[in-house]
Amino acid sequence: MYYRSSNIAARIFDRQISTPAPGTSVHHARRFYENLVPSYTVYEVECPDHSFRKFTDDGQYLISFSRNHQELIVYRPRWLSFSCNDDDCDKHDLPSKARRFDSFFTQLYCVSLASCNELICKDFFLYMDSNQFGLFATSTAQIHDAPAVGGAVQGVPSIEKITFHLLRLEDGEILDRKVFSNDFVNLTHNMGVFLYDDLLAIVSLRYQTIHILQIRDSGNLVHVRAIGEFCREDDELFLNSNAQDISSSDKNKQHQSTENHVENQMHQGQPHMGNSFLSGIKQRLLSFIFQGLWNEESDDTLRMQRLRMKFYFHFQDYVDLIIWKVQFLDRHHLLIKFGSVDGGVSRNADHHPAFVAVYNMDTTEIVSFYQNSADELYLLFEKFCDHFHVTSRNSMYMNFVSSHSNNIHALEQLRSIKDKASNSSQFVKKMLASLPFSCQSLSPSPYFDQSLFRFDDKLISATDRHRQSTDHPIKFILRNYPHSLKFKIKPGPEAGSMDGRAKKISSFLFHPILPFALSIQQTLFLQPSVVNIHFRR
Amino acid sequence: MISGTSSWLPATSVSASGKRIQREMVELNNDPPPHCSAGPKGDNLYHWIATIIGTPGTPYQGGIFFLDIIFPTDYPFNPPQVVFKTRIYHCNVEPDGHVSMGILKDGWSPALTITKVLLAVRSLLTNPDPYNAVVPGIAHLYLGDRAKHDDIAAEWTVRFAK
Repeated sequence: MYYRSSNIAARIFDRQISTPAPGTSVHHARRFYENLVPSYTVYEVECPDHSFRKFTDDGQYLISFSRNHQELIVYRPRWLSFSCNDDDCDKHDLPSKARRFDSFFTQLYCVSLASCNELICKDFFLYMDSNQFGLFATSTAQIHDAPAVGGAVQGVPSIEKITFHLLRLEDGEILDRKVFSNDFVNLTHNMGVFLYDDLLAIVSLRYQTIHILQIRDSGNLVHVRAIGEFCREDDELFLNSNAQDISSSDKNKQHQSTENHVENQMHQGQPHMGNSFLSGIKQRLLSFIFQGLWNEESDDTLRMQRLRMKFYFHFQDYVDLIIWKVQFLDRHHLLIKFGSVDGGVSRNADHHPAFVAVYNMDTTEIVSFYQNSADELYLLFEKFCDHFHVTSRNSMYMNFVSSHSNNIHALEQLRSIKDKASNSSQFVKKMLASLPFSCQSLSPSPYFDQSLFRFDDKLISATDRHRQSTDHPIKFILRNYPHSLKFKIKPGPEAGSMDGRAKKISSFLFHPILPFALSIQQTLFLQPSVVNIHFRR
Repeated sequence: MISGTSSWLPATSVSASGKRIQREMVELNNDPPPHCSAGPKGDNLYHWIATIIGTPGTPYQGGIFFLDIIFPTDYPFNPPQVVFKTRIYHCNVEPDGHVSMGILKDGWSPALTITKVLLAVRSLLTNPDPYNAVVPGIAHLYLGDRAKHDDIAAEWTVRFAK
């Protein structure tokens, strides 16, 4: 390849006279981000004391919650404008009027979501960009030692009320709500909920049910099916309609429950007394494992031995597995992670044995099943990572989020970690711990594109996480010639913090399109956070 | 006294019932009945899991049925308990999964073995015994409208036993 100037004028000229290789036009266009970077920082911006959640992936909205976790405040990001009397206004600092939060953002509305004793879960937000709908959650406090009643899993905490709110972000109108009572959905970092196109999967950890909901264009949340105790949407109905001749005491309960409380109906439908039938999903899982082992061996005696050691010996362990997390792979397939009860609730689940299964919810078949240390699954993960990072059909820009399957630099990085790892099975487990992926946890900002910039991913990355911050600015270095330092992002006060010892946590919100970012630094004491705005002046 | 899953006594001091069960395990291993298999759950010799693959040509075709087999401590003087863990539409299986069969009750003989029990359960799936049914509704349908019975049983298999 011949030498290309990294000068922006030269690049624009270049764009006029040459056509990029087929299929690379977006990649070429994105290289302009090497020239347009958020290198100017406005430190300690005067801004409302909210907790800022994220920019929506289309860049239309900035989502924030009030400190008391009661209200949702939505802003429209806009580019600042100011007037300047001098000839050369670039030399001057920004006028103090322009240095304010509201010269970058316009408040669209403020809606109260919380009611009674419910508070907004500030870690939870999903955006459906085809309709500009936002999904928020409010909940009451967790009860840790909740008794396992009505078929609930022992050891999983309970929340009296979890409400999902579907909002039209354009005007803040609440379109629909869905309530889960005495249940537990892991809302941290969207872990328990996955949105794909218009399909929503919500994992009830407590009742081991994957609720599939559809978000209609009209703004309704419609219950499609529940996977867990049963696999097909009408299994329970079928069982009840067939049950006239099968005397059973727990059927009467179903008639009492009202029709609009789907969740509760499910729970009460779960037989609890003296009924030891495997749940629908467990039956599918066990029969898949059984058939795999059965077909592996044709000699009767050897087959029996194999089944005894690999299947019957571990039978109870398989039965005790619970659904931890779920993601969509496409509209029909779910990637389900199974593990022990202890690992489902704790944050660090690395050392718990876990399994992942691909489940086709239309045919109700398990397609494949792996242990979390399986090399085969790791190879799939290494080569086809993007197939796990599924995004809704219309969010094309998400295809450019760097992963080790689409980016040589990310792959090199992964390989070097792999080579350094002393224990290969530990490494595989650690890598596969990220499966299933959390929904909408990656920023599509081009500044995280590893083919454009190099940065220390311990300090900053596309993954939406709080990080411990240092007083050093985070450097973004050009990946390509001339490999120079292009811009720095420094969270916290310009002069560094007064107390060097205090532990500081930073989060970064990058606008998906514009050279524009917010850094929010918090000390662990309940002081207001320091917000810096980084943009291209 | 055998308690839960933790007691795995050394082979030399295993009780008579334990020895008998171990012998039956060897026998089952060497000559397993077709479409059946079984083995102890975890390290508890007295609690087994069995699998019966639905026999082709019956409404249970294509189903994988899991069963609990629980041996009494005075085995073989009392019969084991056999309970379906997979839902099944069958006139000789109680709504909670317990298999009701002569040889598992008064018809039990210490000469019977786990292999024979599995064969008996499997043949019960092929030939239900409506005159000794525990679910009369299913038995009536079986006798009155066999085709409808088979359709329903097949639908149960597809829904709950795949």
